[in-house]
This record gives sequence, C-alpha cells and structure tokens, in this order.
Amino acid sequence: MTAFVARRLLFAVALVFVVSSATLLLTRLAPGDVTAELGPFAAPAEVAAARARLGLDRGPVEQWALWIARVGRFDFGDSFLYNRPVRDLVGRATANTAILAVVALLAATAFGIPLGIVSGSRRGTAATVIRAVSLVCLSVPPLLTSLLLVFLAATTRWLPAGGMTSVDALDGRWSTWLADLATHLPLPALALALPIAATFERLQAQSMAEALQQPFVTAAAARGVAPREIVLRHAWRVSLRPICGVYGIAIGTLLSGSFVVEFVTAWPGLGRLMYEALRARDIYLVAGCAAMGGWVLAAGMMVGDLLLAAADPRLREQGRG
Amino acid sequence: MQTRLTRIGLILAGAGVLAALVVVFRFGSSGPSPAPELRRGGQIVASLRSEPRSFNRLVSRDYATEVVTLLTQGRLARINRATFELEPWLAEGWESSADGRTHTLRLRPGVTWSDGTPFTSADVLFSLQAVYDPKAQSVLTSTLVVGGQPIKAIAPDAQTVVLTYAAPSGPGLRLLDNLPILPKHKLEAALMSGSFAAAWNSTTPPAEIVGTGPFVLREYQPGQRLVLERNPRYWRRAADDGALPYLDRIVLEIVPEQNAELLRLQAGELDLTSSELRPEDYVPVREAEKQGRLRLIELGVGPDADAFWFCLKPEVKAKDPRFKYVQRPEFRKAISHAVDREAFAETVFLGAAVPVWGPITPGNLQWFWADVPRYPHNDQEAQSLLATLNLHDRDERDGETVVADLDGVEMRFTVLTQRGISWYERGTAVLRDELAKIGIVLDIVPLEVGALIQRLLACDYDAIYFRPMATDLDPAGNLDFWLSSGSAHFWNIGQKTPAADWERRIDTLMLEQAAALDPARRRQEFNLVQQIFAENLPALYFTAPRLYYAHSARLRGVVPSVQRPPVLWSADTLSVTN
Repeated sequence: MTAFVARRLLFAVALVFVVSSATLLLTRLAPGDVTAELGPFAAPAEVAAARARLGLDRGPVEQWALWIARVGRFDFGDSFLYNRPVRDLVGRATANTAILAVVALLAATAFGIPLGIVSGSRRGTAATVIRAVSLVCLSVPPLLTSLLLVFLAATTRWLPAGGMTSVDALDGRWSTWLADLATHLPLPALALALPIAATFERLQAQSMAEALQQPFVTAAAARGVAPREIVLRHAWRVSLRPICGVYGIAIGTLLSGSFVVEFVTAWPGLGRLMYEALRARDIYLVAGCAAMGGWVLAAGMMVGDLLLAAADPRLREQGRG
Repeated sequence: MQTRLTRIGLILAGAGVLAALVVVFRFGSSGPSPAPELRRGGQIVASLRSEPRSFNRLVSRDYATEVVTLLTQGRLARINRATFELEPWLAEGWESSADGRTHTLRLRPGVTWSDGTPFTSADVLFSLQAVYDPKAQSVLTSTLVVGGQPIKAIAPDAQTVVLTYAAPSGPGLRLLDNLPILPKHKLEAALMSGSFAAAWNSTTPPAEIVGTGPFVLREYQPGQRLVLERNPRYWRRAADDGALPYLDRIVLEIVPEQNAELLRLQAGELDLTSSELRPEDYVPVREAEKQGRLRLIELGVGPDADAFWFCLKPEVKAKDPRFKYVQRPEFRKAISHAVDREAFAETVFLGAAVPVWGPITPGNLQWFWADVPRYPHNDQEAQSLLATLNLHDRDERDGETVVADLDGVEMRFTVLTQRGISWYERGTAVLRDELAKIGIVLDIVPLEVGALIQRLLACDYDAIYFRPMATDLDPAGNLDFWLSSGSAHFWNIGQKTPAADWERRIDTLMLEQAAALDPARRRQEFNLVQQIFAENLPALYFTAPRLYYAHSARLRGVVPSVQRPPVLWSADTLSVTN
C-alpha cells in the first residue's frame, strides 16, 4: 500500500509539473496578453510597466524557468486581474469548488448507481424511462443545463438563482451561513451532477447486465437465492469495478464542468477563476489554477484506485503479492 | 480548453441571435422613472461583471474600480452625467483667471473623511502628487496634463487650493472630474515608500479604505460581493436638508455571466445591472415591466458607435498592392455609400440605433454636429467612385463578383472583430453583404479581444470592426484619438509626423481647440475637425445604438446617464420604496 501511494504521489507531482508548465507556456504563446485588460489604447508606458511587472518582457522559457523557481518556494506569482497572490486566490476558490464537487459527486452517486442497478437488472417501462433520461442528461451541455436551472430558479423563486451565499447571511451566525449555503448549493450541484449521474447510471446498468450473465449468478439462483439478493449482494459488488474506475475521471469531469456551471451560477470556485484567467490571459493565475486542477485530478484518480481495490478482492490480492 | 470556450461563445451568441429572431419588434420606452417618493433606509443589490483590481482609482482603470470609487470617493468638481455640466463638489466654488491658467478653489468647509479626519487642501496636494509621481504608476497621469505639463498646485491655507495650468485649457476645471481625492493620512506612507501602486488592493482591510463619498466599504468577499454601507459623515444634504445618502447599504454582487445577470434581475435578486441592455434582452424586460417587476428606461443614443477601418500605416502596408486604393478617400467614401444605415440599424441593433456619419454621435449632446458631410446609401455612386480609381468588376467566380484593378489586384479583405459580441457578429455580416453588392469582398475573422488588440497595435490586419470607447465626451479630453501622434488614433497609431495633410490640419485645429477658452470658438473649430474627418473617412461609422436600461420597480430617485455606470453615478440620491 505504501509503495502504491508513493507511486501515485510521484505521478501527481509529475502531472502537476507538466500540466502547469504546459499551461503557462501555451498561454504565453497564444496571441494577446493580459495587458489587453488595460484597454485597446492604453498608454504604451503603462502597458510596458505592466508587462515588465508580469515578466512578459522576457522570453517564454526564461519566464517559465523563473516561475518554476518561485513555485519551489510555494510562490505562484501575482494575478494581474485580481492584483493578489495566485496562491490566495486558488486556495479560496478550490475550497469553494470542493464543496460544490463533493455535493455533486454524492448526488451523482446517490442517483446514478441505484438507477443503474434498476435499469441494468430489469426490463420494462421503468428501465426505458431511466435510459432515456440518462441519454438526455448526457447530451445536454452543462451550459444549457445551468442556464435552464437558473431560469427555473428565477421563474419559480424556489431557490436562489446564483451565488454561493445571500447578502442576508452576512450578519448571521455560522449556522445561518450554513443554512444559506445549503439553499444555494442545489442549483450548481445539480447542473454538475446530472451528466455524471447519467454516466454512472449507464455504466452501472451495463456492468450489472454483464454481471447477471456470470455463472455464479446462475449458481446462486439454482441455490434458491432470491433475485433481489442476487442483484444487491452478489452481482452489484462485481459490477462496481467499472464505476470505481471512472471515479477519478468523474472528478476531472467535475472540474471541467465547473468552468461553465460556476460561471453561469456565479459560484466563486476554481472553474470560474480559471475561465476568467484564461479569458484575460492572466498567465500566472492560469498556471496556478492548472496546477491545482492537476492535484485534484491526481487525488481523484488515487481515490478511484483505492475504491477499486476495496471493491475487487482480486486487486487487493495482487497488491499483497 | 479553447474548443470549450469557443463552444460556449457560439452557444451564447446563438442564443442571443435566436432570441432576437424570435420576436421582431420596434423599440419603445415607457419613459422616465415615476416622480420620486424618497425614503431613508434600505438596501439595493447591483451587479458587477468582474471584481475590482484595486480600490485605488489612481492605479487601476477597470470598470469595477471606477464604480467603487464613484461610491466611496469624492472629487473637487464633478461632471453631472445627466446634464454634462460641471458641478462644485468637494470644492464649493472657484475663481479662474482671465487667461484660464490659474484657478483658485475654495474647499467645502466641515467635510471629513469617513474615519472622522478633516478633509483639507493637503489631501488635494497629496492626490496630485501621487498622480505625477512616477513610482506611483498612476493611470491618470496623461488625463491631468495641460500643455504637456503637470498641473501645479499650492495651498495658501487648509481650505484653499490654487491650481496653475502650463497653458490655457478649453476643458478647464472639467479635468478635475478625473481626479478622486485620496486621504493623505492613509496613503502618504505608501507613496513615500514606493508601494503606492499596491496600496488599497483587495487584501486591504475595509476599515483602512476611507473616503469622502456617500458610502464606505464594509466587506469584500472575493468572487461574491462587495458590501458598502452609508457613510454617516457624508457632506452632501438632500433638498429637505436631510442627510444623504438615502440608502443604508449597497451590495455589489459579482455576476460574470450576462444572461444569468438578467435572469437574476427579473427574479428580483438584483435591483440594478452593470450595463445597459443588449438588443435581444428588450423583449423579456418589457414583459417584466408589464408585470410591474421592472422599470425600463431609455438612456438615449450612446456616445460611442461601432467603427470600421483599414490599417492606414504606410510603413507597414506600402508593399500591399491594395494599399494604394485603401488609402484613397474615394475608396472609403464608396464603402460609406454602399451601406444602407437604416437597414444596418434594423438588422444589427434590431431597430434600436440611429444612423451616424462620424465618431461624434447624437448622444454627445454638447459636441454633435448635425451638418457633418453624409454619404447616403447609393450603390451606383459607390461603383462610380470605385471606377474613378480604375477598379472594375471582374468575371463572376464562385457566385461572387470582385472588383479589381488592371493588374488583377482584387479588393478582397479580411475583417477582424471581437469574438462573442452578438452585434459585432451581425454588424460584420451585414457589412459583408452590403459591400459584396459593389464587388468588395470581406472575410470575417472573430478573435479573442487580446489577440485583436495585439493585431491592432501592430497594424497586422486589413480591416477591423470594433467599438473604440471615447475616454471623454469633451474632444479636448480625447486628444489621443484625434492627434496623429495619439495612442488611440487607431487607423495609424503614434505617427511621428502626420502621414497626410488633412491629419496635420486636424492636429493644428485640435490643439487650438483644446487651448481655446471661448466655447463658441471651440465649437466652431471642432465642427471643422469633424468636417475634415468626414471628408477623409479614416474610420467609417454607420449607426450608434440607442441605450436601454432596466432596474427594479422599487428603486426611486434614478437619474439615468448614457455614460457608465448608468445609475450608480448618482447613488447618494437613490432610494427604495420598501
């Protein structure tokens, strides 16, 4: 287990290094730079000062080398867009995205897997409806889902149409803030969770159908085990392997989906921060967000692997061997 | 990533166009807000699309910083954005010398900063010192230079400031509208230590950010909102001699996405949005107004119009065989004749625009000249002008006719525009169709704004369609656009010597106009500048949008302006019904 975790940590460091370096260099090489934020006709002296402050007057490789040296001291540079250290911005945004992502992942798991079990183990109208809804959720881009949910919230006024907290919670206690947060979470969490829940449902259904074809299921049925118990106790555990395998990818999907969802629903998270940084070519902020995204992705993949090992005894045995 | 962003942009643009096409309408307005029933207390929630880069307007020019500064800081004199008249503000009055170079300002007595420290002439001197100190890296320096020199200031006493300009100035004290007065007692140490550019950034505790404006910053939640509370020491009084501002609190919510912003306005979560409505937003807002939830106001014709121009820098384009035609005014006049401005307004702005013939629109009430030379829509006239340049139709190929010269040089151009702005995309499409009728072929390339600006500054383009925003409604405050050496003289930026005789004439007239004290003379000279501009058409203007704005129905005391922010510029007199 120690060796496994060490390997994964090394992989994470390499992933973060490659992703953040590539992002910094690509952003630097793309046409235009962050001084466009000063307006098209800013005074040349002002533009030159801003470029010097951000190291844009140096070559891309030199700038990258200087940045890497600073990153070694946990200094990711300053954001031009926000005029603040990237580390502070990314830390706060990651915490906000983590809240959203955990709720979305839980919701996706809570909806996707049971529905997948139903649609994979039964035939009939229920399974057909579940499959159809899943396909719709998979097909609709998160932008439209977010806009639709914001529209519904704005029309019905059942939930706040955006933001992470309300103004009214400003003067309240901790519990008031938490309750207020809970009313703001469903909208963006649902927009993020729907395509992932649909992915889980489809995978679970397919995997369950395959598991039910296995000889041990036939044997259990021959022993007189009840069909419900065959599905839940025997087949489900075997069918979990592909689900655990995509958990890491699901976390990546949450990150990429959060770009749009956080932007539309005004959730102050990592996705929105990176979206705005990319739009403005805020080079250090883009690289800082990418580094954090890399860490989250690596952590997600490790969690996926651990879940896989927990679900499949054969992998645990391989690990011991 | 780029693909994802592109897709988002396309979907948003598509949604906008779809909304526009679903309902064909003519714009109308329900008129101004009802007579105010002003009440004290309450709060409003307004939106900002992005966060302030700083709370120090001297070092940051972004829109969010400007809004926060308007709410928290005062100026010596301000331009009323509804009437465009200069009004006494922190200075209660002034006397100017006959030559217009010396201005003696009397500061309003009894004014204090929000922390209780008295406001004095030392604060004014300090603010000007910060503007001109190179270490402070102020973005306002160029806007507060007269005759190429900084404004000199002395303070005979705590309530008097004498400003001396190096040369006579047409705008005179209107320049002071650009200068927020900052507290010496809070920022002097930063200026002395060279850290002024970083002072009052987003990590500064709100209590440190003091001002003489109607509100003070109470809390900043990054990514979410800024909360401003009424400044109990604000100096201005209402007509009934009661304290201002009326509101207890203004919350500025950060809402980056414009569609979501509109939905939140309709849902009652916002009272004000950060900018005027897009043409496609009019219908849903009108519906909400009928239900009594929103008020729709017509701000008037916008002071800025979209421009279409070619790169006219000879040193970059001399080897391009098309340049000898593009640089001829006849060629550009032909384009002007080819565009039906009425149809352009209908298609691009869904009827909410008026034809214009130059950079000064009817929205600029003081300087608009109705008699500027015009080029009515006439394809035959356009073709005749092209024929005078020996440009004639070639054989039709692939369903399009292209005009070309005797050497076969075709008039085919790539037009750059900003990606994701619905009216730019519609505008370039209409332009392409209109010019195709006279044989000029345009290929449209939308770019991200950063890439567009990079190409613009390097003159690495054939033509651009874009809306350059004027920095000031007074032409003397816009010399960077009018002078051939200016950084906003976008068709040929930063010329060492004027590239053409007409540009030299405009340079001379604009410098005279900027230094003239007689308003009639200034107007006469500027009319002449507009005439020369229209005769040479370095940039073509087709329509200026009519601006509409929506706010919640509970808001009172709204004084709308065509300049941004449309309502918050006079936040001290806003109130709510409940």
